[in-house]
Amino acid sequence: MRRNRMGGACGVIALLCGACVCAAQNKIALAAARQQTQQEAKSQSKVETRLKTREVTDEAGRRVAVPVEVHRIVALAPNLTEIVYALGAQDRLVGVSNYSDSPPEAKSKPRIGMPMNPNLEAIVAVHPDIVLMTTEGNRRETADQLARLGIAVYATKPYSVESMLESIEHIGGVIGATAQAESVVANLRSRLDALKSKLAGVPVARVFFVVGENPLISLGEHTFIADALRYAGAQSVVRAKQDWPQIGMETVVRLNPDYLVFASSGFGGEDSTAKQLSQLRSEAGWRELAAVRAGRVVVVSDEIDLPAPGLIDAIEKLARQLHPNAFADAAQHAGVRQLPVFVPMRAHLQSAVSHDSCRKAIACGR
Amino acid sequence: MRPLTPRRIAGICALLAGVLFVVVVLSLKVGAYPISVRDVAMTLVRGALGHWNSIPSSDRLIVFGLRLPRIALGILVGAALSVSGASFQALLRNPLADPYVLGVSSGAALGAILSLVWLQQYPWSMQALAFLGALATIAAVYFLGRRKGQLDSTTLLLAGIITASFLSAIIMFLMTTVSGRDLRGMAFWLMGDLATPPAIGLGFLFVILLIGIGAIYTTSSDLNLILTGEQEAHHLGVNVPRVKLVVYVSASLLTGLAVSVSGAIGYVGLLVPHVMRMLFGSDYRVLIPASAIGGAIAVALADTLARTVVAPTELPVGAVTAAIGAPVFIYLLRRRFA
Repeated sequence: MRRNRMGGACGVIALLCGACVCAAQNKIALAAARQQTQQEAKSQSKVETRLKTREVTDEAGRRVAVPVEVHRIVALAPNLTEIVYALGAQDRLVGVSNYSDSPPEAKSKPRIGMPMNPNLEAIVAVHPDIVLMTTEGNRRETADQLARLGIAVYATKPYSVESMLESIEHIGGVIGATAQAESVVANLRSRLDALKSKLAGVPVARVFFVVGENPLISLGEHTFIADALRYAGAQSVVRAKQDWPQIGMETVVRLNPDYLVFASSGFGGEDSTAKQLSQLRSEAGWRELAAVRAGRVVVVSDEIDLPAPGLIDAIEKLARQLHPNAFADAAQHAGVRQLPVFVPMRAHLQSAVSHDSCRKAIACGR
Repeated sequence: MRPLTPRRIAGICALLAGVLFVVVVLSLKVGAYPISVRDVAMTLVRGALGHWNSIPSSDRLIVFGLRLPRIALGILVGAALSVSGASFQALLRNPLADPYVLGVSSGAALGAILSLVWLQQYPWSMQALAFLGALATIAAVYFLGRRKGQLDSTTLLLAGIITASFLSAIIMFLMTTVSGRDLRGMAFWLMGDLATPPAIGLGFLFVILLIGIGAIYTTSSDLNLILTGEQEAHHLGVNVPRVKLVVYVSASLLTGLAVSVSGAIGYVGLLVPHVMRMLFGSDYRVLIPASAIGGAIAVALADTLARTVVAPTELPVGAVTAAIGAPVFIYLLRRRFA
């Protein structure tokens, strides 16, 4: 009997502890609600414009109340950091995720942890007006939790080159850099158009894109890299519904790609291509591939892994390596041919077709 | 050994609760956001008195919005895992039994993942399926672990390890074949993650935890007898099948609960009851409450390390418990048999 009384006592203590935590949580909710009504009152009286918000729908379909004036930005993935820099808003960037190494200046920004597992305290500590996220590299739970703490979260969803360009425009709109975003995107689009006209009539290269070597991982049809390959005059030989499928060496042999494409840290280019090729020639399995025997191996910079403006650089470099003849030809007529060809085409694309069919026109037009 | 009086149990509980309190205060103080002990105390006192508006808003956000819920979740998970480990050790009369080793955690994880695949819209389904997964796994391991109608210690552990690896294979299969990005966060979750607050609320989880631990506690004298042998316990008047049913169901409930909110955190269920046994003896009347509080201390401490050691990067808490747990366990084993 006595021991039961003891157990009861323990239970009561535990219950009290639990009750305290619950009560505390309810109180926070109450306090937060109170603060919110205060905020609304303030914004109505237009005392402080900083507290004013407007509602937008982000690319993941979430309704978000975004401050009208954004002074402090946190980027939760490396590509978002790069986009914020491209928009010239780096001075307002108060926190970036780990691996935010592009542009190199971003390395000195305060780090707030891994994209999949960011440190929420570190985010709260920099008092952001908005946190930029991506459905590819971040978790939904993180977005929910930040929203619960009263921090505005805008999520992007990169699945193609065109969607990346749209994300730049959306982010520009959200952080108040619309004009800058328009000029960045217009510049990138004109480069893609120029590339398209150069590659017109060039046969599509069948490539095997290596995302990771050990285990061997390639990409599915619905990834932005697969789309980027199309812009570079290439087509992935892997047809998978999964985004990042693991592929066996036998499958690579059977698919018999024209080119192997690797992404590497650093700048890619001829040096690392030669190094990669000599290494592949020393490895059983790889060295039997027709592409390796013929030396058709390309290393591109790892910009191709990030849905950010640098992706267009990577596409151009890849196209140059896959289709050197197209560029050798164009170089002879440089400056004379380019402008008259792409200016009317851009006008045509912008006025007549929506963004989506524009993407299709570029990707499947040839 | 001194006789086990209610006074002594209460003393041990109070001592451990004191340690837990120190750990909680320490954990509230440290982190990526610098905050002094004095500010933590002020925030807590003002919060307890209801003076919410007098607390600086970022302190309130850090202490009540982030750290306290996370510590509370750690306490809950630690208590659940540790008590279920202690009860499996008694029922299976095997000091190496623990929800992780027996595959019960893997079963719960599989249940939770299946609920994410099929029933994502119902927040309850995760806990429910994790519980069912844990229960089904312990039933399977129990029947696989019998030889000639008797529970065989070695066979049982092998059955548990094999079941765990089989279930892990199914989890890996699901994670690699089900496309869609919802499962990619799973890799983190499987290593143990306390950063995400449970969808169904901490208060509700605390109630289930207390029911589970309470049910096991009522059988603690019977567990003491069962430890000497089921036959002997039966002769001494213990309703063995009933006790086993209560404890299996409760321990599965606790494991399912812990895994569904935090992923698989290993070594807590194995190590904490052992440490408590060495400190306070193996009487289950003291071992159950001591394991509950001890487990809470262990996980709260491990999670504090997980979020501070390489801040701002966070480690999975399961990696911390394994990194500390495995060497400590080997030390204890060698000391015991030296």
